[in-house]
Amino acid sequence: MNVLEINKLTKQFGDFIAVDNLSLSIQDGEIFGFLGANGAGKSTAINMITSLLPITRGQIEILGKNIVKHSKFAKANIGIVPQELAIYEDMTAYENVQFFAGLYGLRGSLLKSRAEEALAFVGLEDKHRSYSKNFSGGMKRRLNIACAIAHRPKLIIMDEPTVGIDPQSRSYILNSIKKLNEMGSTIIYTSHYMEEVEEICTRIAIIDHGKIIAQGTKQQLKAIITNQKNISIEVRSVEQLDVEKLRDIVGVNTVELADAVIRISSDAEINNLNKIIQQLMASGMEIRSVEADEPNLETVFLTLTGRSLRD
Amino acid sequence: MNILRIAIKELKVFRDFKMAVFMLITPVVLILILGTAMSNMFNGSMAVGDIRVLYQDNSTPGSAIAKQWESFAREAGKSGILFEKAGGDKDGILEVQNSQYTGFTVIADSGLSYYGNNRSSVEGSIVQGMLAAFADRYKLAAEVAKADLKLPANPAQPGAGGGDYVQEASLDAAKQPGSLDYFAVAVTTLIILYSALSADHLIKSEKKRHTDIRLMASPITKAEILTGKIVGTFLLNFLFMIIVVLISKYVFDANWGDNMGLVILVLSTEIVFALGLGLGISYIIRGEASGAVIMIIIQIAAFVGGSYYPSEDSTGIFRTLSSYSPLQWTNDAILQLIYADHISASITAMLLNMGGAALLLTIAAVTMRRREGL
Repeated sequence: MNVLEINKLTKQFGDFIAVDNLSLSIQDGEIFGFLGANGAGKSTAINMITSLLPITRGQIEILGKNIVKHSKFAKANIGIVPQELAIYEDMTAYENVQFFAGLYGLRGSLLKSRAEEALAFVGLEDKHRSYSKNFSGGMKRRLNIACAIAHRPKLIIMDEPTVGIDPQSRSYILNSIKKLNEMGSTIIYTSHYMEEVEEICTRIAIIDHGKIIAQGTKQQLKAIITNQKNISIEVRSVEQLDVEKLRDIVGVNTVELADAVIRISSDAEINNLNKIIQQLMASGMEIRSVEADEPNLETVFLTLTGRSLRD
Repeated sequence: MNILRIAIKELKVFRDFKMAVFMLITPVVLILILGTAMSNMFNGSMAVGDIRVLYQDNSTPGSAIAKQWESFAREAGKSGILFEKAGGDKDGILEVQNSQYTGFTVIADSGLSYYGNNRSSVEGSIVQGMLAAFADRYKLAAEVAKADLKLPANPAQPGAGGGDYVQEASLDAAKQPGSLDYFAVAVTTLIILYSALSADHLIKSEKKRHTDIRLMASPITKAEILTGKIVGTFLLNFLFMIIVVLISKYVFDANWGDNMGLVILVLSTEIVFALGLGLGISYIIRGEASGAVIMIIIQIAAFVGGSYYPSEDSTGIFRTLSSYSPLQWTNDAILQLIYADHISASITAMLLNMGGAALLLTIAAVTMRRREGL
C-alpha cells in the first residue's frame, strides 16, 4: 500500500518553477531519502505534502486520499519535524509535546500518556518539567522530534533533523528513526549528510531543479555510475603535474587537484591505472599512496547533478 | 477545543518575568509618578479663561423671564461669561460635547435646563452657580410681580430655592478626579493600548520560532489559530488590566466609581480594539515596520488622548485630534461613568472600540486567508 502518492506535482512562483512535474510513490514501511542541494525544490515539495503550500498543478494522496479534498485526514496522518527548531522555548518539554499533540485531537489521559511516551522515546523522560530554553542543541532537536510523533502519525517527514548537533545526539536520533520505522511509521528523510541517508534510507530520490533525476535503492543508484571509478593518488607535490597529459590517457574523464592529492575519475571497464602511474613517474612525481574509491552516494549525486550536495 | 488550547498556550506568557514587569509594574509606577507630578493640575485654583455658554430661548417672547434673561446675559458678558444664542441649525448638546461651549442652557417659561461639559468642570461650576443665582432672582421677581409689589433695588441673594427652577444635567461639581484618580484611568487605558504591540507579535512570534509550520501542518484551520491567539491575548491583557485597576484602587485609593462592571466592560472593549489595531497593522504592513507604526500611533493617541495630561486642557488642533484618539474616548467614557454616572458616553466608546476592532480584525482575517501560511 502506498502511504504517499505524488502525481505530476508542480509548484510555480510567478515564472519560476520550483517543483516540476514531480511524481513518486512511497510505500508503507519505507524510510525514503530525499536528496537535493539547496534550492533544488525538496523543501517546496515537502511543504506541499504537509499542506503548508498550495499546489499549482498535480495531485498528492496520503493513504489513498487526496490531501486537498481530505485536508484534515491528510494532516492528521502526517508528523513533521521541520529543519528549524519549532518549539516554544518558554514552555516545558512536556507542555510542548502536549500542546502539539492536543492539536491532533488527543485528550485527557491518552494525551498525557502519548506525550510521556514521545518524550521517553527521544530520551527526555527526565526533562518533563524543564524549560526547553535551557536545553542543549541536541536535546532541542530531540524535543523537535517528540512534538511530531506523539500523535503517532503514519507518515513522518523529517527535514534535516540532525543539523548542528553533536555526534552522540545524531547517533541517538538516527537510531530513533530506525526504531520509529520498526514501529510502523513511514519516514521521509532529507539530509545534507550523505552517510546518514546511506545508513538509514531504504530508497532514495535525487531532486534537482525541481525534478527527480534518479530514484531507487542505494544499490540501484550506485549502479547508475558503476561505469565510473575514482582513483586518489597522493604525491609529494603537484607542481610538476601536467594535467592535460593525464586527461589524454584513455578512459580518464576528470582530473581534480586538492592540495597534494590527484583525484581521477575514469571508466571502470578500462584498466588504465598503470598508465596513470607511469605518466606521473615520467613527470618526476613522488607517489606516496594510491587509493581506488568505491562509488558512494556523494559520487552518485555529484555525477548526476554536477555539483556537491552542500553547494 | 483547539481555540481554547491555543488560548491557554498564549496565557502562559504570564510566566515571562519581563512581560509581567512591563504589564504590571510599568503602569503602577506611571500612575504614581504622573499622579504625584501632575497633582497641581487637579487643584481648585486653576485659572479660568473666557467662558462661552450657548443658550436657546424657548420662553414666550416678551415674557418676564425673557426680559430678565436678556438683562442677565448682558451683565454676565461684562464678567467674561458670554451667553450666545443658538442658531436654528445648531445642536446645543452636540456643541457642548464637542467642547465648543462650556454649557448649553434652555430657557423656558417653566424654568431653565442646563447641560454641562465634564471637560470644563470648573467653568461649568461657575456657570451653574450663576444660573442658580439667576433662577433665584427671577423667582423672587416673579413673586414680587404676583403680589404687585415694587422690586427692591437690591434683590435677595441666591438661596436654596433655585433648585426648583434649575434642572441640573451636568457633572456634580463636588465630584472631580484628583491627580491619582485621573492617572489611574489614563495610564490603565494607555497600557491597554500598548497591547497592540503584543498583538503585532502574535503571528510574527510563531514565524520567528518556526512553530507556524507545526500549527499549519496540524489539522486545524487558520481561523481557529487566529481566534485562539486573540482569545488568549485578550484574557492575558484582561488579567493584567484587572490587577492594575485593583492595585490603583486599593493601594493608591484611586476612585473607580460605583459602576465597576461597566468600567471594566469599557476597558475590555479597548483591549479588543488594541488587539485589532496590532493584528490589523501587522497584516497591512509586513515586517518589523509594523511595530514602529503601531508605536507612533500609540504615542500620538496618548499625547492627544489625555494620557500625560488631561485632554480637556488642550486647544485648537490638539482638541480636534483628541476626538480621534481611542484613549480620549475611552478615558472620557470612564470618567463620565465614575463622576457623572453617565452611561451614554460609555456606550459610544464601546461601539467605537468594537467597531474599530471589527474593521481591523476583518482586514487581518481576510489578508491571512489569502496568504500562504499564517
